[in-house]
Amino acid sequence: MPLGPPSSAVFIQNAAPGFTSTPGRTPTSVTVHPVALFSILDHYLRRTDAQERVIGTLLGTRSDNGEVEVRSSFAVLHSETEEQVAVDMEYHRTMYDLHHKVNSKEVIVGWYSTGSNLNTYSALIQNFYSQETAPHQAIHLALNTGVEEGQKAGVQAYVGSPVGVTPKPENCVFVPIPCELRFNDAERSGLDLLTSNLSNAANGSFTNPSSDLELLERSLVSVSEMLDRVLAYVQSVLSGEVKGDAAIGRYLMDALGPSTEDLEKGGFNSHLQDTLTVSYLANLVRSQAEVSARLALVKVS
Amino acid sequence: MAAATSMAAALAATLPAPQAAPAPSAPTYEAIPASMAKVIDIEAEISITSVQLDAMVVSKIIKHAKEAPGSSAHGLLLGLDLDGTLEVSNSFPLPHHSNDDDDKSTKGVARYQGSMLRSLKDVQADDSVIGFYQGMTLGSFFNQTLVDSQAIHQEKLRHGGVVIVHDISQTARGNASFRAFRLTRPFLNAYKKNNFSTASLIDHRLTFSTILEEVPLKIRTNALLSAFLGSLSEAAPPSTAQSNPALATSSAAIPPSYSRLNLGTGNTARNLELVVEALDNYKTEEGNLAYLQRQIAREKAKADAAVAKRKDENATRIAAGLAPLPDEDVSRQFKIPPEPSRLDSMLLLGRIDAYGKSLEETASTGLVKMYAAKANVGN
Repeated sequence: MPLGPPSSAVFIQNAAPGFTSTPGRTPTSVTVHPVALFSILDHYLRRTDAQERVIGTLLGTRSDNGEVEVRSSFAVLHSETEEQVAVDMEYHRTMYDLHHKVNSKEVIVGWYSTGSNLNTYSALIQNFYSQETAPHQAIHLALNTGVEEGQKAGVQAYVGSPVGVTPKPENCVFVPIPCELRFNDAERSGLDLLTSNLSNAANGSFTNPSSDLELLERSLVSVSEMLDRVLAYVQSVLSGEVKGDAAIGRYLMDALGPSTEDLEKGGFNSHLQDTLTVSYLANLVRSQAEVSARLALVKVS
Repeated sequence: MAAATSMAAALAATLPAPQAAPAPSAPTYEAIPASMAKVIDIEAEISITSVQLDAMVVSKIIKHAKEAPGSSAHGLLLGLDLDGTLEVSNSFPLPHHSNDDDDKSTKGVARYQGSMLRSLKDVQADDSVIGFYQGMTLGSFFNQTLVDSQAIHQEKLRHGGVVIVHDISQTARGNASFRAFRLTRPFLNAYKKNNFSTASLIDHRLTFSTILEEVPLKIRTNALLSAFLGSLSEAAPPSTAQSNPALATSSAAIPPSYSRLNLGTGNTARNLELVVEALDNYKTEEGNLAYLQRQIAREKAKADAAVAKRKDENATRIAAGLAPLPDEDVSRQFKIPPEPSRLDSMLLLGRIDAYGKSLEETASTGLVKMYAAKANVGN
């Protein structure tokens, strides 16, 4: 799942780590969890007027194959002027210590900034974070909020590599690496909750639907829509309007092939009985609990 | 005028909270614009009618609840209230404290909390605590800590604060569930007196369902975030020239999910186990209560007997023309134990009810899914 506008960029893997002094594996890809993205966006919303962009620290884990997983992020104070850039290092350390107390598995993996212009200051900040993440390399996430006209919202990930004859902190090439959005089941349902009402919530707020059945209905409706789409496609192929694609045909075969035969062979009835028993039991327990609670209130006369 | 006020309310609802409400602790008060005068209450007079949860908080709570061991996720909610709506705009997890050294860990948590609040204030985030959140499994969130913390919060915080509970198991099933609660007044009264005897329960009409009252909860995604999510979830434009809508593959970052259509009722067994476990606990608790009741009854009977005996003695002494002995000291000899607190058993009942409810919901959804699958086979 790519995170950002499609581009024709080829990701250059700087396969020879010999030119840097870092013994850790070079990050080859980045996955971002939604919570980190949301925090960055919130931080961007809360910036002061004087701030053009905001920066912060990314926390996460590294795996052996060079994949960096960004699990969360926090904002860091910084100031940029014409002459200088300053990052509040003390603040950064404090926040990291606080986060470390709650989740000790997450370590500093890099930093983020909003906007997609990479300049000398970016190189300097990258240099600072490289010291923080040593011996591993720091990654840089550039999140484009899509607020400025003509720019698409998206995220780009970079690793820095030194450039020039003599390495200087302000000289740095940002090498893009692939970046993906990653979520587990729980985060998935959270995202569903947030995205499901995007279209019909005019003012951006909606009530929490909490019935399983409602959600089931919604899923069924969307499946039914998809079937309609497939049907329309198949019919147009049959009538010769569109040339059929063999690959799609095979996928359809695979998807619609599985039968529910074992449901037929008495499996349905036994499962039905189980489910009904469970439902009965649940109701019984609940009514007993209610009666018991009421009985406690009865005065002994 | 009515139109003007409703306009003001609408305006207030669209404005982000931090700019709308001047911090009450600021030494110099900014003049509140006339249009906002109705909706800003420095004295906390407008009572809370709903809770609004920011998308970032949703994702933060889900993350923490998933990572914390068991259902022990616990953290603070930050935000502001505006015109009866409590806007939760940020949250942070509290470290999981083991019970080895209570005093030390409490202090550590307090220091952590203070430090975190200061840090968040530095980056213009809201820094007023308005409640806490709690992870739970299978719908059961009644426990002593929740009640205790919320009771403290309701004392101290402006508007009393809320507790937001998040069901991990339901979220894993594909239905992210958040509910907001606060303690009811009768329960709080009883809690303050620390009296959960039968008489007090009857007085306050308390059962497990009247401990907490639910506050309607809304989820809000701010404009920037919904724009971002929108561009992620919308399918990328098909690159090939033949743009048949049927062929447009969804290459979006957030593909639609169908985990909800899964027929399996995975954690029914675990749910049943939990019901049985809670029932066992309840039975033990009831046994203890009954034992204490019997003991009280016995002691009472003994005391009554002694008093009656003394009375008889006095009657004979008066008949014999002697001065009667005082009878107060007799009843003082017997110590009648105080009536046991029924809070535990009430919370346990609440837990049983919650497990039962979640079991019922799983079963009914399962039933619907099964019949749907069956109908599919039939035709």
